[in-house]
Amino acid sequence: MPLPWPAAGDGPGGYGALVTFDGIVRPIEEGRSIAGLQYEAYRPMADRMLLKIAGQAMEQFSLVDIEVDHSIGWVGTGECSFRLRIAAMHRKEALAATDWFIDRLKLDVPIWKAGQTPMTP
Amino acid sequence: MQPVPTPEKYAPRDPGHGTLPIRLFGAEAAAAGVRIIEIPMPGPHADCASLRPILLAVCPAIAGLLPGCRFAVNHEFVEDRHPVKPGDEVALIGRVSGG
Repeated sequence: MPLPWPAAGDGPGGYGALVTFDGIVRPIEEGRSIAGLQYEAYRPMADRMLLKIAGQAMEQFSLVDIEVDHSIGWVGTGECSFRLRIAAMHRKEALAATDWFIDRLKLDVPIWKAGQTPMTP
Repeated sequence: MQPVPTPEKYAPRDPGHGTLPIRLFGAEAAAAGVRIIEIPMPGPHADCASLRPILLAVCPAIAGLLPGCRFAVNHEFVEDRHPVKPGDEVALIGRVSGG
């Protein structure tokens, strides 16, 4: 299922920078037009790895807070499959942590996507 | 890539006494056509490295993918020298594609 948009005012206080990254399903995947992506996960390990990476990010970048959500199942093109919100005192560490976290997720979190064309059931 | 069809399990040619289920996902599950491969339990002092030739013998379809895969034991990535014992939950994790 796609992730809903966050409500205004959500999040912790005491920060000077809040970065929200939304991963949106593109209409083209590996050169083909798709209707969306089907995500699967090795769920207990994916949850554990996301928590682990979040903890490492908190420490490495001295963050105020971090939240991450990743969809499982069908997500259509134009919809949000992944959301990362990072709060920090300053933008430098918030932006750096965002990039770092996504790089780690793409290497180590056991989630997979399969593109499905408009004609694929 | 199409969703992986049933059956859920790939029975070893010689079930023998004691098997170890290996969970598959993504490209590895698609190549094997199953989500779980049961292999003969390698022995009391086995490590993850010893699972690789057994997996190849039981499921040759994953031969091209296996070198790029890591093992996870009980939901943690491990090195190939990590021991494997009966009751462990073992997964073969190839290239992931979340995010």
